[in-house]
Amino acid sequence: MKSSFNPFEMAQQQFDKAADVLELDQATRELLRNPLREYHFNIPVRMDDGKFRVFRGFRIQHNDSRGPCKGGIRFHPQETVDTVKALSMWMTWKCAVVDIPLGGAKGGVICDPHNLSAREQEAICRGWVRQVARNVGPINDVPAPDVMTNPQHMLWMLDEFETIHGGRYPGFITGKPVGMGGSLGRTEATGYGVVYTLREALKLIGVDIQKTSAAVQGFGNVSQYAVRLYQQLGGKVVCVSSWDQSDQTSYTFRKEEGVDVDALLAITDHFGGIDKAKAAGLGYEVLPGGAWIEQDVDILIPAALENQVTGDNVGKIAPRVKVIAEGANGPVTPEADKVIKQKGIFVIPDFLANAGGVTCSYFEQVQCNMNYYWTQAETLQKLDEKMTAAFHAVAELAKKRKLYMRDAAYVISVSRVAKACRDRGWV
Amino acid sequence: MRTDAAAVQERRELDVIIGFLRKIDQHLLVRIARRLINYLSWSGVREAQDLLQFFSPSRRTGEESENLPSETKKGPELLRMTDQIFQIAREHMTPDEILRNVQKWIKDDKSGFLVEAVENQGTSLSEITQFLERYEDMAIDDRELSRGIQVGLRVSLVRRFLTEELDFIDVAKNAIAVGDFYDLVRHVISPPSSHGKLGGKGAGLFLAARILRRSPEVAQELGTIRTPKTWYVTSDGVLDFLQYNNLEDVYNRKYLQIDQVREEYPHLVQVFKSSHFSPEIVRGLSLAMDDFEERPIIVRSSSLLEDRLGSAFSGKYKSLFLANQGTKRERLLAVMDAIAEVYASVFGPDPIEYRSEKGLLDVHEEMGILIQEVVGTKVGKYFFPSWAGVAFSNNEFRWSPRIRREDGLVRLVPGLGTRAVDRVGDDYPVLMAPGQPGLRVNVTKEEVIRYAPRYLDVINLESRKFETVAASDLLKECGPDIPGFRQIVSVCDQDGIHRPLLLDLMENSGQLIVTFDGLVSGTPFLQQMKTILRVLREKMGCPVDIEFASDGKELYLLQCRPQSFSDDAIPVPVPRDLPPERILFSAHKYVSNGRVPDLTHVVYVDPDRYAALPDAEALRRVGRAVSRLNKVLPKRKFILIGPGRWGSRGDIRLGVNVTYSDINNTAALVEVARKKGNYVPDLSFGTHFFQDLVEASIRYLPLFPDEEGNVFNEGFLRNAPDLLASLVPEFADLEGVIRAIDVPAATGGQVLRLLLNAEQEEAAAVFGPPGELADRPGHDARRRTLEAQGDDHARWRLRMAERVAAEADADRFGIRGIYVFGSTKNGTAGPDADIDLLVHFRGTPEMRHDLDLWLEGWSLCLAEANFLRTGLRLEGLLDVEIVSDDDIRKQAGHAGKIGAVTDAARPLLLKKRSPGQPEV
Repeated sequence: MKSSFNPFEMAQQQFDKAADVLELDQATRELLRNPLREYHFNIPVRMDDGKFRVFRGFRIQHNDSRGPCKGGIRFHPQETVDTVKALSMWMTWKCAVVDIPLGGAKGGVICDPHNLSAREQEAICRGWVRQVARNVGPINDVPAPDVMTNPQHMLWMLDEFETIHGGRYPGFITGKPVGMGGSLGRTEATGYGVVYTLREALKLIGVDIQKTSAAVQGFGNVSQYAVRLYQQLGGKVVCVSSWDQSDQTSYTFRKEEGVDVDALLAITDHFGGIDKAKAAGLGYEVLPGGAWIEQDVDILIPAALENQVTGDNVGKIAPRVKVIAEGANGPVTPEADKVIKQKGIFVIPDFLANAGGVTCSYFEQVQCNMNYYWTQAETLQKLDEKMTAAFHAVAELAKKRKLYMRDAAYVISVSRVAKACRDRGWV
Repeated sequence: MRTDAAAVQERRELDVIIGFLRKIDQHLLVRIARRLINYLSWSGVREAQDLLQFFSPSRRTGEESENLPSETKKGPELLRMTDQIFQIAREHMTPDEILRNVQKWIKDDKSGFLVEAVENQGTSLSEITQFLERYEDMAIDDRELSRGIQVGLRVSLVRRFLTEELDFIDVAKNAIAVGDFYDLVRHVISPPSSHGKLGGKGAGLFLAARILRRSPEVAQELGTIRTPKTWYVTSDGVLDFLQYNNLEDVYNRKYLQIDQVREEYPHLVQVFKSSHFSPEIVRGLSLAMDDFEERPIIVRSSSLLEDRLGSAFSGKYKSLFLANQGTKRERLLAVMDAIAEVYASVFGPDPIEYRSEKGLLDVHEEMGILIQEVVGTKVGKYFFPSWAGVAFSNNEFRWSPRIRREDGLVRLVPGLGTRAVDRVGDDYPVLMAPGQPGLRVNVTKEEVIRYAPRYLDVINLESRKFETVAASDLLKECGPDIPGFRQIVSVCDQDGIHRPLLLDLMENSGQLIVTFDGLVSGTPFLQQMKTILRVLREKMGCPVDIEFASDGKELYLLQCRPQSFSDDAIPVPVPRDLPPERILFSAHKYVSNGRVPDLTHVVYVDPDRYAALPDAEALRRVGRAVSRLNKVLPKRKFILIGPGRWGSRGDIRLGVNVTYSDINNTAALVEVARKKGNYVPDLSFGTHFFQDLVEASIRYLPLFPDEEGNVFNEGFLRNAPDLLASLVPEFADLEGVIRAIDVPAATGGQVLRLLLNAEQEEAAAVFGPPGELADRPGHDARRRTLEAQGDDHARWRLRMAERVAAEADADRFGIRGIYVFGSTKNGTAGPDADIDLLVHFRGTPEMRHDLDLWLEGWSLCLAEANFLRTGLRLEGLLDVEIVSDDDIRKQAGHAGKIGAVTDAARPLLLKKRSPGQPEV
């Protein structure tokens, strides 16, 4: 099969760039360019109609030099090993950038849950664990939910793992419901994490957060908590945007004196869409979806989807904008990134800014392993410390080596992993 | 084994009965003896045959003069022969056998008066009712009758009360017993000496309910299946109403011009509503209102023409919900008001127009009325069923290859079923396949939330109105008071979507959304649906669609009709003898029923070229280009063909990265699965936006070009002239990857038609001349008329556009040219379409001001004229875009349509040409 672009090759190219900056030796490059271990296996399942079907499962452990591997399990009908490999490598860097003692992994099953009953999905989950039960676990490799898998799938997997090993190992898997080993603070983690890094960035460039204003794209989980914390810290959010299901387009809701998250949530439907008419009644201006980017503010927080800041609209960014905090994954296209770099806007790259989520997963695992659970405040306090430290490490490197923040974040994580491999005497 | 003693006993019983009959009813005894001898003769008993000849005229011819009347047998002689007959019978039959037959014949004999009454067309319904009541008192079960009498009686009753339709009678005679009519007639309201019927809807429901009640498997699984309490006004009630109020002349209104009918209709409704019902009907309705008490009711039409035309017709008449609250007098007035309004709808412009097209204008439309109790419970100030919906034997919208067509489809909503029956656009019903209960359309949390029902239709008992309320408000307000609440909702929190435990509901944690997960996994609901659909399909001999509702405890059947009556389900013959060059592609898997007519454009994403694009950004651009094409191509007149999974998000090499809004104007979505090495990739079945496709009636079809017997005309798709660069110049670099083909331009004026036939698992996209009717099935009549109307709307609009241009004073208004484009130009305009005009303007601001006023006047007048033609109120009919020289030079906006490569705007002749010609 001829394929035009290969996600794994792209991940390798990205790594090569960082490796060049770090002047890594050949052996380290070879070690890190490819996963340490790959498991490919069959999962036979008896279907509801009595027939059997065999599903293909994977677990790719890219690197565990800094600690047990960590990474999601995806259910996708078009899953390929190359995608899983690329994502496992990305997990290694993501854990390293926030300096948590975990490595990177990813897993998956080629299947479409749309074609499977709940019972069949349970059988796949249990089958997956049976095939790799000896190679995963709280001290080896810790899975988590990902594309088309959810806390229910995690609990089935956990139950199977514990049945096989004859004990309770809540630290085997993360993404569990609170009360079943899940961590408090998970809902807030990503949005708060964005603002912790933003707060530090403003300190660094010498701007008083109380005198800043921001425009936020999106009104989902990340955006809501980011807005809350940022406003608690004294900033003013002048607009958020949301997708309107019935109009099949998005709108920006602007209020110069600052948006009120709770008031907006009261008029938001299940789908995260804000009621236009009611918003107008509350004194919000209803503008086109793209209007968030052109606001005269100090900070932009794209927290919706990937590829939102493009070559087409990057020019609309107001000259006043000083910081872009990437709450979403890959919100800026490479084309737009070049322009932002030229303008000298301070960028907090996505895998640093939104690392609150993976950090909280780490906390979940830590709490599970000691079977002692923190309060929400305690969890968020620890999250703040981690994110703050991670931000300064990246910013310092960026300053010292005159690197773009995005590149610095990449370089620092690769160097941490490379160092662990060297210290262990692997290369 | 029988003992001798028992035989002796039986013989004695027989003697007693014969003796008894001889004493009290000799005539009856003789009639029975006559049947006995016939029976013996048919059974080949010699003596009986001999004795029978004794009665026959041929035997007498020898002895008696032909000119004399044959001798009448005297009583004593007949009685003697009776003894003889019984003697022969005793020799050839057991006493038990004789006894059984005698009993049967006595019952036959006693049924004679009823047989006579129903067969005599002169008997009125009220007389039949009286006879039935008398018959009921006799406590005869019709299964005890001889087969001939039994069937004859049933058929006659079905004919008189339900329908003359032969297929229906054929099914009904086995399912409906005489006893079933006892209860029915007590709920029939008819004018004096009525000869009316219940009408299609009433009859369909009555039959389906009997079939289910008689089915042992249904009884085992469901207990009894219920139908709501129903009263019927017979179909001639409307005639009675007209006569009673001297309104017969409304019958002639149907011959008026349709715009006149439309204009006068509101007055007609008023006249009807202020008219009176005859005393018999009022008396009947009064009984009904006593029976219903203060429970909400629905007044539905039940037309006789439905039998002939299918549901296409039923939708044209009204159904009205009544809160039915207040004093008896108020409630009676309200129901009469509602019936009058339904009666008026018989003379409404839409049904008249439709009937005139079908050549049925001269038939006096008779329409029955169904007054049905609304299933449901009172919750707060509202009344509604906990859930309701429609179910189909055949699933025409399969979301997984594992679902077979016969697995069926249920569209389920909370509240009144109106939201499941109709496609409401801004909301979604929950879809399920009873044969595959585990396979749900929506799997991820985001999907489940996005496609959850958001509104309920309810009856507000305080305002006494039908209302639509937001599910979130209602669930929050009075959730747990709704019976079966935990079957309806799930709790959605950060950990996902779960069925609620009691604790969840008390703590009010998480958001409540409608999923019916509890109904599916905790109750036999889907199993019941499956059984009901299977039994009805078997007994009615065709796939069915049913409406149902539940008060949270019991399931009620509301309607049943053959599925072929519904629009989505019509199989279209796919011609087999077509020359290959007339076929664009064909398919033999996962085909549904339907037909997509007259496609003018094809958008083709070339699988190989797509896969060869260098990076993710380039792939994403393909999605954006498709989105642009979706906006510029004529709505529902183009088809999208592309590789793999439309709507891919993650690995977008596997399919074009689009959302529903990027493809929402296509007529059909086609996914091509090309073999790669030795495997064929999975297709999406539209899962990313499946429910949007369903609600918008966008067809989905997967193609497997590499499989034996499938045509895939890649040559045409790759070589036909490509308009991509001229349609969306900003995406010209994707030339070859995406191809936009103007079908008429590429084929010398032909269009593309997509024909789908699920019965034969066959589908084909076929080239042919536009508007060709030959390949359409005979019973696809409604579609044809709608299209014919469509042509008509477009023709009228074009004519009006020409009038506007012809009247426009070019010098006074500074007009350089007027062009028509869009649906009017393309001949696809519907009754609600506006007329898209481009006015090329070069003049002063004053001229512009005058021009705007002048055009607005036209727009309003044309809207009024359109209203009279179609009954649709639009604010204005003209959608005018004024373009300058500059716009045309830059090809900005619609100005680009002037002299465009495809779908160009058409210039219209002006009143007075300015010196310069329009710049075409």
